[in-house]
Amino acid sequence: MSVELWTEKYRPKTLDQVVNHDEIISRLKKFVEDRNIPHLLFVGPAGVGKTTTILALAQDLYGPVYTHFTLELNASDERGINVIREKVKSFAYTAPMRSEVSFKVLIMDEADNLTTAAQHALRRTMERYTKTCRFCLIGNYSESIIEPIQSRCAIFRFGHLSENDIRERIRYIADCEGVKLLEPGLDAILEASRGDLRKSINILQTAAASKGGYVDEETVFAVLGRVSPKEVKQMINLSLKGRFLEAREALRRLLLEEGLAGEDLLRQIYSEVLRLQIPDVWKVRLSETIGEIDYRMTQGANVEIQLGALLAKLVLAGEEMGQ
Amino acid sequence: MSLEERPWAERFRPRTISDVADNKEALRRLLNWVRSWRGRPPKQRSAFLYGPPGVGKTSSVGAIANDLGFDLVEVNASDYRTAKRIETILGKASSQTHTLLGERRMILIDELEGISGREDRGGVQAILRLIKETRSPIVLVATGSREEWEEKLSPLMRVSEIIEFRHIPFNDVVKRLRDICKEVGVEAEEEALELIAERSNGDLRSALNDLEAVGRGRNALAWGDVYWLGDRDRKSGLPEVLMRIFSAKSFREAREALGASPIGYDELLEWIYENLPYAFDDPHDLAEAMDALSHADIHRTRARRTQEYRLLKYMFNAMLAEVALARRESKGRGLIQAIRHASLSLGLPPSDLSIQEGREGIIVKPTRWMGDDWQPLNSLLRGFGGRWIRGEGRWVVPYFRPPGRVYHLRRSWWSRRRLGDLALKVGEKCHISRRVALRDVVPYVRVIFQENRSLGVSLGRWLELGEDTIKWLMER
Repeated sequence: MSVELWTEKYRPKTLDQVVNHDEIISRLKKFVEDRNIPHLLFVGPAGVGKTTTILALAQDLYGPVYTHFTLELNASDERGINVIREKVKSFAYTAPMRSEVSFKVLIMDEADNLTTAAQHALRRTMERYTKTCRFCLIGNYSESIIEPIQSRCAIFRFGHLSENDIRERIRYIADCEGVKLLEPGLDAILEASRGDLRKSINILQTAAASKGGYVDEETVFAVLGRVSPKEVKQMINLSLKGRFLEAREALRRLLLEEGLAGEDLLRQIYSEVLRLQIPDVWKVRLSETIGEIDYRMTQGANVEIQLGALLAKLVLAGEEMGQ
Repeated sequence: MSLEERPWAERFRPRTISDVADNKEALRRLLNWVRSWRGRPPKQRSAFLYGPPGVGKTSSVGAIANDLGFDLVEVNASDYRTAKRIETILGKASSQTHTLLGERRMILIDELEGISGREDRGGVQAILRLIKETRSPIVLVATGSREEWEEKLSPLMRVSEIIEFRHIPFNDVVKRLRDICKEVGVEAEEEALELIAERSNGDLRSALNDLEAVGRGRNALAWGDVYWLGDRDRKSGLPEVLMRIFSAKSFREAREALGASPIGYDELLEWIYENLPYAFDDPHDLAEAMDALSHADIHRTRARRTQEYRLLKYMFNAMLAEVALARRESKGRGLIQAIRHASLSLGLPPSDLSIQEGREGIIVKPTRWMGDDWQPLNSLLRGFGGRWIRGEGRWVVPYFRPPGRVYHLRRSWWSRRRLGDLALKVGEKCHISRRVALRDVVPYVRVIFQENRSLGVSLGRWLELGEDTIKWLMER
């Protein structure tokens, strides 16, 4: 028997099963009753149920065969707007057959990763196929979606899940899976996942897998220690000690062997730097430096050279702090 | 010369039909054609074998002659250019079907592509006449791509049975190298063999030569041993160019180095980035010079994005002049210090080694018999790009080393492919992008695999991971 990731196994299948975001859900249910939806824009933080909600809506709208009438695209996976346009075209070209709903649903996840130009192109495509296709765009911030798209969509803002909701959900899953979850373990999961349900469930499953279904605080910390590469912290420390060459080797490993995106790595560097035991005035200075490099990464092409320049600045900071 | 002493390409050449592992289809056709010589000559009295070098053309002929009991008369077409010579040498052989001992003959004319130019026209004609009259099978072999010789050899192709040999697939080359390593007792890292195979482009002979060059007389072969193979002979003049950039005192001096560079600016930027920290050992200088490279990268990207290539000059100024002028306090002793530091970390006291700057690089000489310490030190210095000079009893570590990014990229390509597969499958199952999968979910999947294998494998099946990826996850 195969084991699933619990995030999928326990993903609510219908709108009724979605227990949070009551306001949003009741409005969406109305759409389903009417057999009609506008274009949608879902915004909100990671792991609060945006994708789950639209998939549940599709299920309610079309029944179990909903996959025939929906197309999921992910803006960060697709190569350029032309590819997206082609895919949309062949999907949206025809109205759904044998369905009482007259349109299909196209889900564009991580839409805030589309460039402004791509969004303008997407907007034109949306208009063109309005009769046969509804678009649901999903992103973290509405600010990163251009105004003309926003004005064509019904915007739904997904807030953070309440701590209590996550707590109950995690307990529910632990019960179903026969996991002995101790209270301090649950607290640790909540503390670490900061309102991201997907992350909470992943921690629970990994912790349960490593200690044979027994999850306490210690098991959770052990998992957390292993999933976030210690190498980021080591790399920063090596730099501060003036050992640039070794720090650069660590950088290469993280980028090339672990396959981390430059942006994601920089985010980790940033949070590690803020946690360093250094005078606040240096935190401020280093924040400036990291901010500059963050911007330069969008301007340049070679992430390693940009982050290498940051490491050299850390070497210098280490030297000056030592004096 | 005993078999063991022969070059490996020779030593491991297939000698019988069953030894031939590659290009089986070509081998089968050749065998059928030779067998059709029972009694009377067949319609095509010659076979025309062609294909890239080192894929087993000549070996196949040799193996067939051996198994079917032919006496093989070999002529190298490029050595005997004139018609007359070919006729004298071959005339006899082709009209007599058997040797004095009663063996049947087969004639092999190799390196036909070497017949060239006007004076050799007669050469092709002579071979044609030979084919018309022959009572023994004639095998013609041409190497290289068809367009290079097709025109001049087409008369021969028209009368021959044409058999194409193809590149040997990458995986097969790796497999052969692995088998040979086992046979000669070299324990080789998979990545080392893959790199050799990659460089060979499906030419098994050159792969064997490379393997021998790095592997003969050793019992272990690591990636680092092979890596330098490619770069050793290229890039002449590059060290001088880098030296000029890192020691230039003026804008102009630094800027002029570009004209002298044997490599393009993209690659030069990588070389500068790689070697800069050794030359800039002062933190202020280093930070400023690295900042200059960051600027260079930005100028280059702007030039590309806007297609305004005049912007490239700002990139050049940044990577050359801005870098050079950043150097104020540095002593340029980063490399020697790094080597000293690294050998100390092996636990070797400083008195065990003499480490000095020489003309062609840093010279490392043991001052005592190293015994068991030799091997770790050797790998360490090889990591720096150093070579052991046997006769002189020392290592030489060149002042400049090739971009390590390339090293890492090549070294990790297998891991990256597995990780890519994992991210793709997780993304599909969990409705997220590959990037988010890699960042938010893959780390958990990896820990599950490490902590609980059977659960991991089961999860792998659900994710529909390939066997390769599951194996890779279990090994971690």
